Amino acid sequence: MNTRELLKKLQPLIALIVMVAVLSLLSDKFLTLANQRNILLQISVNLCLSIGMTLIILTGGIDLSVGAILGLAGAVAAGLLKNGVALNLFGVSLQFTPLGAVAAGILTGLALGGFNGFAITRFKLPPFVATLGMLSIARGLTLLWTGGFPITSLGATFGFIGAGIFLGVPMAVWISAGLVALFYFISRRTLLGRYIYAVGGNEKATAFSGIDVDRIKIRVYALGGALAAVAGLIVTARLDAADPKAGLGYELDSIAAVVIGGTSLSGGRGSILGTVLGCLIIGVLNNGLFLLDVSPFWQQVIKGLVILAAVAADRLGTRRS
Amino acid sequence: MRVLRWIIALMVAAGLCRVFPLFHAVPLKTAAAAKAAAAFNPAQFAETFWTGTLLTSLDRAVRADELVSLIQTDPAAAKKKYSRSIGLSEGYFYFLRGEGKILSVSDDEVIIAVTGGGTRAEVSLQAGLIFGNAVRDGTGLLSANDYPNSQDFNDISAALNHLVETSVQPKLRAQAKAGARISFAGCAEVNDEAADLKPLKVIPLQTQSE
Repeated sequence: MNTRELLKKLQPLIALIVMVAVLSLLSDKFLTLANQRNILLQISVNLCLSIGMTLIILTGGIDLSVGAILGLAGAVAAGLLKNGVALNLFGVSLQFTPLGAVAAGILTGLALGGFNGFAITRFKLPPFVATLGMLSIARGLTLLWTGGFPITSLGATFGFIGAGIFLGVPMAVWISAGLVALFYFISRRTLLGRYIYAVGGNEKATAFSGIDVDRIKIRVYALGGALAAVAGLIVTARLDAADPKAGLGYELDSIAAVVIGGTSLSGGRGSILGTVLGCLIIGVLNNGLFLLDVSPFWQQVIKGLVILAAVAADRLGTRRS
Repeated sequence: MRVLRWIIALMVAAGLCRVFPLFHAVPLKTAAAAKAAAAFNPAQFAETFWTGTLLTSLDRAVRADELVSLIQTDPAAAKKKYSRSIGLSEGYFYFLRGEGKILSVSDDEVIIAVTGGGTRAEVSLQAGLIFGNAVRDGTGLLSANDYPNSQDFNDISAALNHLVETSVQPKLRAQAKAGARISFAGCAEVNDEAADLKPLKVIPLQTQSE
């Protein structure tokens, strides 16, 4: 690896270090323990979404529905936990335990993500279109399920997922860190991981070598949905409420984190660790702009410029190589 | 072989579900009764908190004349010494009590002077509609960490504000007369120092006109 390649690989890390150094000089609150914990807590949701998004983008796809799936999965879990399911025919109500609600939420995400993969592979829909459709479907289903109102008071046990502290670290951070470790292992050390890179690198060559590309894609989109559901459970547990509008626009932060982390939008190149850095950069940027009292309108502009710069750097790098 | 793997996986899942059940079947009537019993009643909570905790803790409040004097000479020192804030918020609260001379009375506020001389408009006791979380957060007696449901915590704030509007402010409006002396306890929320400090806008928790 020559110096240029090394610098390109370390680009997100260097950007993060520079941002941390500048913000610690500009704000006396930035380096406080409470603020650092706050940043980690804030990025934990985006991290869960972005791990799935990384896998999807690595295959050369995209998923615009993760924010909507996040909202629906959280609402399903909250609804089952709070109200259960009334089976009038049998005169009983199924009262879900927190574990049951969590399982139902994750299954919801898995199913919707799997449907995305199915639509993309079987009907040959462009991922952009298929997942845009799912975005609308999931948003509609969330409104139908909740009636448009938040579902609140979900109990301390469920709330522990989002608001609990274990060994001084928020549970949401433990969960996202665990998922990072698990999916780093999957992407680097398992056949599925190798196939994901292969599909994104050269789909035709992968298919010719006997690998069932469609199956890999369905699995990846299903995993993306399940991870969005985990993010939804964290958000719901943290707020102790399932908001029908939860996750609105989260897909953009997730795609931004993946791209800033060095994953190529054309697939085949990138890593989970790069995405972790991308999430940290977005989280530190959001936090820093807030601490510096920058207008929310300007925050949007600055975030957009950072994303454009990251994509431009990726394109330039790809052209040179 | 594959079928066997699936059967084993299903058996393991069924075993786990037995140890850690995913749901319980409950008769519909029992479920409805349990749901009604578990509902949080913010108005009832606010009443109990008001009489049982808040009114018995007013002696913890800082003296209004001390606070106002320090705000006039060194607002930053007053903030450091007497205020409390929530998380990383830039806004902060004061919990204060004291006596003063009523300078003027309007529908929305009772202006009083609390330091020597009694001529400067130093405290504005709020007599109109109450917004914000000063009553809930200003005393430090309630912590968001004790309420995992943020909606419940918000409802408590609304219920406390309602108590001030229905039980404290009518008495204040009836008693307050320009020139009279008044003793009070209350909370102030400062978000904009230029607008909120001079005079200090205080939501009254207890008032007594002499």
